[in-house]
Amino acid sequence: MGLLIAFRDALGLFFATWRWTFRGSLFRQRKVFLRQLHDIGNRSVLFITVTLGVLGVISVFQVLLQVERILPEFSVVGPAFIQTMVREFAPTITGLMIATRVGSGIAAELGSMVVTEQVDALRLCNADPVDYLVAPRFWACVLHTVLLTVYGGVVGVCCGAVVAHEVWEIPWTSFFSLRLVELSDAASGLMKATAYGMAIPIAAAQAGLETTGGSEGVGIATTRAVVNASFAVVVLDFLLSGLSFLLWFQGR
Amino acid sequence: MGAAAPEGAGGGPVISATGVVRRFGGVPVLDGVDLEVRRGELLGIVGPGGGGKTVLLKVLAGLLRPDGGEVVIDGASLAGLETDGRARLWERFGFLFQNYALFDFMTVGENVAFPLEQRRPRAPEDEIRARVATRLSEVDLPGTEALFPNELSGGMKKRVAMARATIADAEFLFYDDPTAGLDPVTSSKIFGLIARLHLPRGVSVVVSHDVDRMRAICRRFVMIDRGRVRFDGDLDAVHASDDEMVRTFFDESGLAL
Repeated sequence: MGLLIAFRDALGLFFATWRWTFRGSLFRQRKVFLRQLHDIGNRSVLFITVTLGVLGVISVFQVLLQVERILPEFSVVGPAFIQTMVREFAPTITGLMIATRVGSGIAAELGSMVVTEQVDALRLCNADPVDYLVAPRFWACVLHTVLLTVYGGVVGVCCGAVVAHEVWEIPWTSFFSLRLVELSDAASGLMKATAYGMAIPIAAAQAGLETTGGSEGVGIATTRAVVNASFAVVVLDFLLSGLSFLLWFQGR
Repeated sequence: MGAAAPEGAGGGPVISATGVVRRFGGVPVLDGVDLEVRRGELLGIVGPGGGGKTVLLKVLAGLLRPDGGEVVIDGASLAGLETDGRARLWERFGFLFQNYALFDFMTVGENVAFPLEQRRPRAPEDEIRARVATRLSEVDLPGTEALFPNELSGGMKKRVAMARATIADAEFLFYDDPTAGLDPVTSSKIFGLIARLHLPRGVSVVVSHDVDRMRAICRRFVMIDRGRVRFDGDLDAVHASDDEMVRTFFDESGLAL
C-alpha cells in the first residue's frame, strides 16, 4: 500500500513538473536551471569517466578471457561490446551512478530547505516549490543523463578498446567496428537514458519534499531517494528492455 | 523601549480558530485551541518552549492543516480554500520564520525583493530595488544586497528575514521569535519596527520569549502551554489571574507584576 501511495505521489509530482514547464518555469528559473546544469553535469563527469572506464576495461578483459578459451577469433568482440554498451551498459550504469550522486544531492538539498522552512517561505510568497525547485532540477537531470550516457558509452568503449589492443593485440579498426550497431540500439539506449533522467529527480525530489524532523529526517530522505531512484532505474531498465525487444530487436 | 503600543483593536475577529488540533506522529501539539484575533490587533503569543506556539502560527497561516477544528480568516474557512484561494490569501501574509528561512540560492537583495516580485510581477525594478534598500537600512543592514545568506551571522539572517517578511506591507504579519539571537539594541529596534509596520486594519501576531519588549507594543497576550490556551488577556488580567503558572511565567519573563 505504501509503495502504491509513493508511486501515486511521484506521478503527481511528475505531472506537476510538466505543468510548470509548460507555464515557463525554465525561463523564470533560468539561473537555478543553469546552476543545476553545472551541479548535475560537470560535477558528475569524473565520476562517470572512472565508473564507465573501469567497467569497459573489466568487461572487455573478462569477455576476451572467456572467448579465448572457446574461439580463436576475436573480431566480433568489439562490435558486440559496443552494441551492449549502447543498448544497456551506458544508459543503465550512468543512470545508477546519477541516481546515487545526483539523487542524494537533490534529496539532501530539498530536505534541508524543508526543515529550515524555506519551502514554507516559498509557498507563503505564492511561489510553488515544484516551479522553483523541482522543474529546474528535473530538466537539468534529463539533459545531463542523456549527455553523460553518450559520454560514458564513448569512455567505456575506448577503455575497453585499449585493453583489447594492448593485451590481445586486436586491431583498432576491428574493435571499433559498428557493424552490429543499428539505429534501434541507439534509440533504445537514449530512450532508457531519458526515462532514467526523468525518474531520478522525481524520486529524489519527492523524498526531499516529504522530509520531516531535523537533520535525521534529511538523512532518512537522502537514503530513501537513493534507494527509490536506483529501484526506478532497475525497474525501468527491465520494462524498457522488454519494450525495445518487442519494438526493434525481435528476430535480430 | 523606543516603541509605542499601537492603538487597540476596534474591529471584529478577522482570524478565528475553533477547537484546533494538530498532531505529529499521533502526539497532539495543539490540543483544542480556541483563539480570535481582531482587526487592528497586535497580539503577543507567549509560553514555555515546545508548547505549540510555532505550530499554532503555521496553522493560522494555512501552512499546516489542522487534524481537527477550524480556522477562519476574514470569513473564509482555510479548509474550504482551493489552491487559488489559498494563494490569494497568502498574498496578504508576511511571515518571519523562526529559522530565518532565507533562500540560500538567492542573495540578500533577491531574498528581500522576492515577495514583492511575486505579488507585483510588473513593478519597476528600480522601485523594488529602492524599497529593498530602504527596508534593509531599517533593519541596520544597508548595502548587504549582494551577500548570500551563508555569508551572514545568525542575527543578520534574522534581520534580513524581518525585512523580507515586511517588505510587501502585508495585512497579516506573523513573527515567530523575531529577536532570538539579537543584541538588546537591535531587539528594541525590531520591536519598534514591528509596531511601526502594523497596519491599523491589519493583524500582527508576535511569538516571542522577550516578554519585556513585547509589553511595549502588545496590549493582549495569549499564553500557549502544552497545546492549549492557558491565558488570554491584557496585563491587568495577568495581575488578576489566579493561575500561579501564568503569574510566575510573566513575572519571570520580565513583566513586573
